[in-house]
Amino acid sequence: MTRTVPPKKEAAGPAVAKPAEAHPAEVRPDEAAPGAVARFVRGRWLGTVPGRIRLHAVLALGAVGVLLLLLAATVGNARDAVRTIGHDAGPQVVATGNLYFALSDMDAHVADVLLIGREHGLGIGRDESLRQYETRRDEAGQAAIEAAQLAGQDADRQKTVREVLQALGRYDRLVGEALLLSRQSGHAAGETPKPVIDAYRQATDLMRMELLPRAYNLTLDSGATVRQEYEEKRGAVQAGRAWVVLAGVAALAVLLAAQLYLARTFRRAVNPALALATAGTLLLLGAAVGMLNGQLDHLRKAKEDGFDSVLTLSRIRAISHSAFADESRYLLDPERADTYEQNFLDKALAIAYVDPGESRPLNLDTYYALIGRTAAEYPSASGDTRFLGLFATEAAKADEAGAEPRLAAVLRAYARVMDGDRRMRELATGDRRDEAIALRMRRESGGAIAEFERYDAGLVGLATLHRQRFQDAIGSADGGLRGWGALPPAAGAVLAALILAGVRPRLAEFR
Amino acid sequence: MRIFRGAAAAAALAAAAGSAAACGLGAGEESVARKESLVIGVKADQPGLGLRAKDGTYAGFDVDVARYVAGRLGVPPGRVTFRTTPSSIREKALADGDVDLIFATYSITARRKEAVTFGGPYYVPHQDTLVREDDSSIRNVRDLKGKRLCEVAGSNSWRRVVEEREIAATRVKAPTYSACMDLLAARRIDAVSTDDLILAGFAAGRQVKIINAPFTDEKYGVGIRKGDLEGCETVNRAITRMYQDGTAARLLTKWFKESGLKLATSVPQFEGCS
Repeated sequence: MTRTVPPKKEAAGPAVAKPAEAHPAEVRPDEAAPGAVARFVRGRWLGTVPGRIRLHAVLALGAVGVLLLLLAATVGNARDAVRTIGHDAGPQVVATGNLYFALSDMDAHVADVLLIGREHGLGIGRDESLRQYETRRDEAGQAAIEAAQLAGQDADRQKTVREVLQALGRYDRLVGEALLLSRQSGHAAGETPKPVIDAYRQATDLMRMELLPRAYNLTLDSGATVRQEYEEKRGAVQAGRAWVVLAGVAALAVLLAAQLYLARTFRRAVNPALALATAGTLLLLGAAVGMLNGQLDHLRKAKEDGFDSVLTLSRIRAISHSAFADESRYLLDPERADTYEQNFLDKALAIAYVDPGESRPLNLDTYYALIGRTAAEYPSASGDTRFLGLFATEAAKADEAGAEPRLAAVLRAYARVMDGDRRMRELATGDRRDEAIALRMRRESGGAIAEFERYDAGLVGLATLHRQRFQDAIGSADGGLRGWGALPPAAGAVLAALILAGVRPRLAEFR
Repeated sequence: MRIFRGAAAAAALAAAAGSAAACGLGAGEESVARKESLVIGVKADQPGLGLRAKDGTYAGFDVDVARYVAGRLGVPPGRVTFRTTPSSIREKALADGDVDLIFATYSITARRKEAVTFGGPYYVPHQDTLVREDDSSIRNVRDLKGKRLCEVAGSNSWRRVVEEREIAATRVKAPTYSACMDLLAARRIDAVSTDDLILAGFAAGRQVKIINAPFTDEKYGVGIRKGDLEGCETVNRAITRMYQDGTAARLLTKWFKESGLKLATSVPQFEGCS
């Protein structure tokens, strides 16, 4: 190994290559390599001024080179992070969130159709419901394909997607059966015959016990992958930044040491070229650290204020639609009304959990009372109007300028939906099922559908805000990286030229 | 030599910057996903779920699921230690690091999620009602009106009937569910209502039946130290696999087949790691 190491002067570049006879240390490698190495190791060349100048130059070039290599690698890592979070996995995960939503909404439309029976004018009507069912069915299929692509080589996730598609086929058949029986019987709204309900039970159980959990887990799992990649890449950029600082400080130290050495040896105040190289290195280091800090900040914003919020809001939206469908199921299947009511409460609690304290039970009655006050008081909250659940996750990071007023509006709309639910259940348990169904299916102002749509629109608006922030952050990250691919080599050429220009005249004094 | 002085200064700076970088990267404790051995908290007094035998070994559905998940985390049975973790100390045991994971009929609730990260649920039991085998007057929870219902100290299950559902049942106090079983046999109460898996464990070998009229969804989660998202995500993948490869169905059958309970053999909807 050591035998093939060329003398230092060659590594320093041609600009400092001087005729061999000028210095004792200078020996051509092809001529007397063993002797040269021995002399090099003995280090007598270090005792000469040109030798030391060369050493300084080589160290400076090396330090700047290391800095630039590390910088280039870190810029590559940052670029990679932006691509993964911003352009590949992030958006795809949001797309798989649509799978749960589409599936859940399919079952909701079926429940509506079976509930209204021959009274096609109720709600959005039978034909429109069936048309939307078909649309959601297509969307679910599309989202499943995207989920399969996102699953990549992950065998377990691939299997989950396959299970979803198989179950979807079975679900379709069961729904077809229920719809056929319902049409044949020509029943009135709210008087769905037992065989129809039995057929629907099979379908909705399949949907709620097998399809929806898998779809939900898929979204969570791909969200987990994005989180892991984010942590990993952010860690790589942070580590890269630390190494860049380290190499930068080392390069500056070497440049300053060279400056001092030349100043003392040649009794000159400043070596302008070396000073320029030092200033340039400092500038480059400052700009690089600033840029990397910016990238880390853009990434964090894209992840936390963009991606995380969009994912949470899509979960809230999916659960909300599913809860709203529980109202239809509650009216459709009185035998299971208790179960569907409990499901509704569980979903409400997942979205916004309020704590009635030890003295009161946590049931729908206490929930109605507390959620109304909680929504009215938000963003200020105290005691029992503090809330947990998915909305609390969003509230914890909502900023006053943008997200908070919108979130407040969404919460108030949610409380109105809950109030509609209270009135609907009061009617249903008070032997006024017809009125309960009419309220649940009413699209005009004050009706349950109208209130729910307003709430849903608020959720979509809030999600759009966060999606915009995601895109802005990714756009800034892309912009921040522009030019940094070419900068390290260009800076390398300039700094190398300056360093060499700095030592060359001094070496020339020894010719 | 001047050069070396400069180099020494640079090296000192380098060391300082290097240690700063190390601090940034090494933050946080070790995830359960990367541990060589695991201490797992289970119940000691719940037949069918977590029961401690006289020789100190534990057996039950929770224990088997814990072993499977630990295996998927790369920890063989030989390096898994089980520890009795009663309900009252579960949060503290996790926070103090006394246990790495908890599989102990640990229901996920919004309030607990403030202090614990939950993997799973690995099963969603439902509250159901247990009556004497010859009793046909109770077919769903509403039929408990006017009946004598066991109220176990420290358990919320009776509240779900009497308070949340406002069903006027007569409460009869008992210290444990096992004491309820004796009261039921002695005809001093008519019904016991709680998670179906717990009922199934106690029902074995007794003249009782579960009415199969579930009215709640509980969520048995895996307790993990708050903030260990990597551990939680890995546990969720293990549970997904447990259902996909048929282990979940096998274990449910092994422990609860006799009870006549309707068992769910497809993966539950996860809570999400937070």
